[in-house]
Amino acid sequence: MTSSNTCPATSRRAIRRDIFSGSLESPDKLRLRGSRCAKCAEVTLGQALSCPNCGSTEVSDITLSTHGEVWSYTIIRHRPPGDYLGPGVFEPFGLGLVELAEGIRVLAPISGDVSKLRIGLQVQFRPSLLNSAQGQEVVAFEFAQEGDASHV
Amino acid sequence: MSDVFILGAGIHPFGRFDASYEEIGAQAAAAALRDAGVDWTKIQGAYLSRMYLPAGSGARILRRLGSHDISIVDIEAGCASGGAALRQAVLAIRSGAIDLALVAGCEKMPRGFMSPSMIYSEWQIEMGMAVNPAYWAMRAKRHMHDYGTTEMQIAKVAFKNHNNSVHNENAMYRNAFSLDDILNSRLVCDPIRLLEICAPNDGAAAVVIASKERARQLGMTGRAIRIAACCHSIARYSADFRSPADSMSATANNRGPTEVTAALAFEQAGIGVEDIDCFEVQDTDAFCEIEAYEHLGLCAPGEGGRLIDEGITEMGGKSPVNMSGGLISKGEPIGASHLGQVVEIVSQLRGDTGMRQVHGAKVGLAHVLGTGGHCAVTILQR
Repeated sequence: MTSSNTCPATSRRAIRRDIFSGSLESPDKLRLRGSRCAKCAEVTLGQALSCPNCGSTEVSDITLSTHGEVWSYTIIRHRPPGDYLGPGVFEPFGLGLVELAEGIRVLAPISGDVSKLRIGLQVQFRPSLLNSAQGQEVVAFEFAQEGDASHV
Repeated sequence: MSDVFILGAGIHPFGRFDASYEEIGAQAAAAALRDAGVDWTKIQGAYLSRMYLPAGSGARILRRLGSHDISIVDIEAGCASGGAALRQAVLAIRSGAIDLALVAGCEKMPRGFMSPSMIYSEWQIEMGMAVNPAYWAMRAKRHMHDYGTTEMQIAKVAFKNHNNSVHNENAMYRNAFSLDDILNSRLVCDPIRLLEICAPNDGAAAVVIASKERARQLGMTGRAIRIAACCHSIARYSADFRSPADSMSATANNRGPTEVTAALAFEQAGIGVEDIDCFEVQDTDAFCEIEAYEHLGLCAPGEGGRLIDEGITEMGGKSPVNMSGGLISKGEPIGASHLGQVVEIVSQLRGDTGMRQVHGAKVGLAHVLGTGGHCAVTILQR
């Protein structure tokens, strides 16, 4: 991976502004960011102004676990519509709800062999790099099936 | 609450047409006015439900019926837009502000996947998560895991609805398929297959509604149908996993939007699910109908598959569902879909549906649920 000290903002961006903790300059160290409510303890994805469950404004940033378990999944069999930034030659991929220890299920692509997908599968968070049509590097994320060594 | 009646109902077939949305919308509205025997200039307020049409579509459609200066507004609430629009008209009449209204639903949609930016954020589109059937599929997969629901049971729902569609002149697809045809159709998002999902398309439907007093003045006949309930609500926090959700809680335990909205509707109508003679429910995918059985209270959680196995929801069964062929056969012109169901139930209660008639039907229920957890339930009574 290359990085630039002069204009990192134009060469690399996060897929979603509030979804990572850590620096885009060290994608390997990025983690998913969440928000926990002090009143009802519900955890949501990304930053929150207030709790979408109970409405309390006593919410704080947390870093989400990297290890998870597939709660449900599907296989995307056809190229998704719109500005999908996946590979130019489409390959069917897993999409699943991954349950983390914090009590949240996060929707994410699940890399690896789609024929091995099943509920209860152990998976590991990892950042992924996509390329935008404007030539920007876009830092996204996925969960990898455990034992799947392929890496960006 | 004061009674509100449907005096007339009209539909433009669901399908794909060269005609503009203004034309098909105006045709459905004109048909509803004709059926009611009411002149457009007598209407005091009009509502258009739609999702994909341009600004001010309601006025652009209805001004074709003649010059008028009433309030005409567009209403959008995802797949439940029609329920939200009908509810607004019912509330306007109950408030006493008006006593005669027209509610139309209309849509004209491109073939294939819907434009993702109408539903998803840019980052979800970029990551390849803007695929509506994927959300249905994940609910189905988990239900299969938790309750042992099978691919065969899901296919049976599609089989039933395709079979019913043969008798519906307003459906887009009117073909019966074998279970083999369905189970061998290509996977769209595992476990959901092509012959088990609906297609976005074009269509329109409309009703003319009035207060009891106004209906009497207009010489209300036995063809008038009472709106026993018309409810719309959105899913509580994490009560429903559906587009465009990016996550869900593993700990919250809120009741689903269909359970909540149906309970409200049954309370308003003063009846229970056992009193309903015919149902039109959301079957954007065949699994969705199995889930609706459970959430409407036709069976306990996890028993939806048994219901289809036992034939309870087929023609001649105790609780017939989607005699019209459902969205799987009709297609889903989003803004028109709930009003299409309402027009179907009106026809059922009048005994006008020919080969797909549920004999002696006196009470019917229409249900939609979609994007963002928008849900509507309307109960009609003869």
